[in-house]
Amino acid sequence: MKKDIAKVRNIGISAHIDSGKTTLTERILFYTQRIHAMHDVKGKDGVGAFMDSMELERERGITIASAATFCEWKDLEINIIDTPGHVDFTIEVERSLRVLDGAILVLCAVGGVQSQSITVDQQMRRYKVPCIAFINKCDRSGANPFRVIDQLKDRLGHNAVALQIPIGLENDFTGVVDLLAMKAVYFDGEKGETIRIEEIPETVRELARTKREQMLDAASMFSDELMEAILEEKEIGTDLIVAALRKATLSRQLTPVVMGSAYKNKGVQLLLDAVNSLLPCPTDVENYALDTDRDETPVRLTSDPEAPLVALAFKLEDRTYGQLTYIRVYQGSLSKGETIINVRTGRKIKVGRVVRMHSDQMEEIEAIPAGYIGALFGVDCASGDTFVAPGLSLTMTSMYVPKPVISLAISPKDHKAEINMSKALNRFTKEDPTFKTHVNPETNETIISGMGELHLEVYIERMQREYSAEVTAGAPRVAYRETITQRADFDYLHKKQTGGSGQYGRVSGWMEPIADQDFEFDNQVVGGSIPTQYIAACEKGFRDCMAKGPKMEFPVTGVKIVINDGASHAVDSSDMAFQQAARGAFHQGYFKAKPVIQEPIMKVVVETPTAFQGPVMGSLNQRRGMIVGAQDEGALCVIESQVPLAEMFGYSTVLRSLTQGQAQFTMEFLAYRQVPQSIAEQLEKKAAEQKKKVA
Amino acid sequence: MRPLSGSRPAAAGAKPPRATLIFIKERYFAMLKTDLILNNPVQFIGGQSEDVLASGQFGGVLARAGVGKTALMVQMALNAMLHERKVLHVSLNQPVNKTNLWYLEVFGHVARQYNVPQPELLWESLLPHRFIMTFRTEGFSVPKLEERLTDLVEQKIFVPRMLIVDGLSFDEPLRDALAGLKHYARLNGLGVWFTIRTHRHEDPGPGGIPKQLADVKDLFDLALQLVPVGEEILVKAVKGLTLPAEHAHLVLDPSTMLVKDRAV
Repeated sequence: MKKDIAKVRNIGISAHIDSGKTTLTERILFYTQRIHAMHDVKGKDGVGAFMDSMELERERGITIASAATFCEWKDLEINIIDTPGHVDFTIEVERSLRVLDGAILVLCAVGGVQSQSITVDQQMRRYKVPCIAFINKCDRSGANPFRVIDQLKDRLGHNAVALQIPIGLENDFTGVVDLLAMKAVYFDGEKGETIRIEEIPETVRELARTKREQMLDAASMFSDELMEAILEEKEIGTDLIVAALRKATLSRQLTPVVMGSAYKNKGVQLLLDAVNSLLPCPTDVENYALDTDRDETPVRLTSDPEAPLVALAFKLEDRTYGQLTYIRVYQGSLSKGETIINVRTGRKIKVGRVVRMHSDQMEEIEAIPAGYIGALFGVDCASGDTFVAPGLSLTMTSMYVPKPVISLAISPKDHKAEINMSKALNRFTKEDPTFKTHVNPETNETIISGMGELHLEVYIERMQREYSAEVTAGAPRVAYRETITQRADFDYLHKKQTGGSGQYGRVSGWMEPIADQDFEFDNQVVGGSIPTQYIAACEKGFRDCMAKGPKMEFPVTGVKIVINDGASHAVDSSDMAFQQAARGAFHQGYFKAKPVIQEPIMKVVVETPTAFQGPVMGSLNQRRGMIVGAQDEGALCVIESQVPLAEMFGYSTVLRSLTQGQAQFTMEFLAYRQVPQSIAEQLEKKAAEQKKKVA
Repeated sequence: MRPLSGSRPAAAGAKPPRATLIFIKERYFAMLKTDLILNNPVQFIGGQSEDVLASGQFGGVLARAGVGKTALMVQMALNAMLHERKVLHVSLNQPVNKTNLWYLEVFGHVARQYNVPQPELLWESLLPHRFIMTFRTEGFSVPKLEERLTDLVEQKIFVPRMLIVDGLSFDEPLRDALAGLKHYARLNGLGVWFTIRTHRHEDPGPGGIPKQLADVKDLFDLALQLVPVGEEILVKAVKGLTLPAEHAHLVLDPSTMLVKDRAV
């Protein structure tokens, strides 16, 4: 294993569904000689793409879990994380971006910047990940890479600059013009493995000249030397341009654009060259950890392999030989036999096997140095845990984890399935922080919650396939919430003096709605009307009530409790008595505070051929959707709407039949909003029936 | 009994609301909206009537690039939305998100200026009254817009009263297309506003009417021009409107782009 950190690239490949990420990764692995045969995602050979290692992924033609792999291109070591495109699996994308130094944003030359590209771009922005855009599918009918570049500028606000132009398009797409070298590049051989460099054909020479000038203009903004050379009309060396482009790319002020067709084996090698010259190595990126001993002060990490270890576990997988933990080392080196500490639990761990992953195959190595991605065997931890050398108290910044919005009940078919189901759930919840599970104490049902219908569906299928856990799933349920809408006072006395030791506590104050927080407790009691030792009991009493709202038994959010008075008894007051008093006070104030039910509202973006715009809008409208806007994109139309999650079940089937399968949609959580009165009434009715059944 | 302004419309299949039922939240919003309408100088452009433009009428906002046509248009739209009238905003060459940002920005300024409590709730109540439709300039035509509008209206997805066409180039001949749209607007009870970009290097025609409007001025019932004067942007009536004498000096505040009455 080489250890020249300047020659390391940790990159991700992110894009909209079906933009060809996995195909592109497959080609990259082939050209870097990690694999020796290419298979297509939904290929006729039935093998499936190499990176889609899960049986389910190969069957559906989508990437579900990101698989990490590494490959070598020329003298470069590239760690690639293939990320899922469906929005239900966004947490995977977010996790990958957290540990990556750079990314390839794959865009379809026909579809251009699509809804998921926007989400992915926002995530890249959040983690300040520099990127290169690869415009794929230039061989497809309707391909127009320049339109996609315009969309990158207009829709995503990127300073997108073409480093190449296509030679021919659609069926006539034969190669690209490299605007840096001003040469035509063709990809010969059965698998495009032989690169042929020639003079630029006459037909595109003028366009190439114009586009090169545009590229030089853009690059010169980041290099005085280049600007000078241009003004003085000196000969401009490729190195000078690359240096300017690299500087701009690393600071995210410019997005270089390359193009090709992964499926037709064109342009992939040049993309790898661009990764080499334009994307950052680990030392180019500033990474910070938080010092837990010093009030979480950010501490800059160095990529020095000799420094004390700081590493992040960003993904877990359960393999036949135990748990496999994907690790990114930020500082120091993680070696076999070493003792490290899990900052979250404080537990010491002895490092066993250290491996480097290549999709579902692995290669045993001695150590993972700073800047590298690898995996550990047999380490018990959760995703997002930080590992450090003994004596350090640093933690990597926590990753943004959205709360689940949908849940469903599952029940195992038999006892064997029950055992397997519990094993599967244990693993899935560790692997994916957006996937949660709990047992409903009233119905005794196991409830799984996640980010969308497909998200849960995939886990149920994985349970059956990987764990042989036959389960039946109930209808999906929406995660409703309760909240209050106005201030209400309470003054509650809990008094029980009927034999034995008595209970006495009075709590007085008010509750009011708050935004952005689930619960806030403010103690304004003066003069000891509630003795200090019982204040915590009061808070606990109120907090306990938040789990199950008095109105419909949904969790309560957005409540601020202020207590300002009360009373106690020298003998009969106790923690228990004040907890009871707080519960009573909560119930007393709650209904006066006009509680309402809230439901998750999803941002639904449908891309449909213009001919189906009317029916699609109608279908969203029928689902209580509010259409925010419709964007005409020529042959396609993008409809953006806000629809309650409760109305979105089975929408993919409806959309398919409405549009002859030509439309697609993405859905992500937007906000919680109050449910209309009629729906609230229906919910109340349903809840009453359910209660009766349970009783 | 006529429902109270701002009362909740009966949902399909729900029981009709009892006459005595008053929804506090809706009434609160109705009062808040009335306050905002009364405080906002944009109302003076409309005079006494709620609708600035009657059915089938055209209005134009003329200005050079970057002076504030869209900002003024968005304020007029917000004013209409506060009146619970539906606004269809057609934007050429601007994505939905960017157009939405205009609304968020202007609404944010309005909310701050008039100290609106819980602005996000008011914003949520206004949103159903707005629909943004965007086209690429090269793909836009009046028949296409009519087709899209018919889609919306026939399915009762969105029945607009006010249509804003932002970004249409008046440097090209538009007479036939506009005449067609006027006919459509009359049939469908729409008042249509256009933003009209003028050019610095062109002198206005007779009566101070910019060249862009000259050929189609008979189709327009009302026209406003934004004229930068010193540090202010004057809102000047060019056609069909006389601002009340006590509010004749409306300006756009360059820091917030909100309409301001200089007399106040």
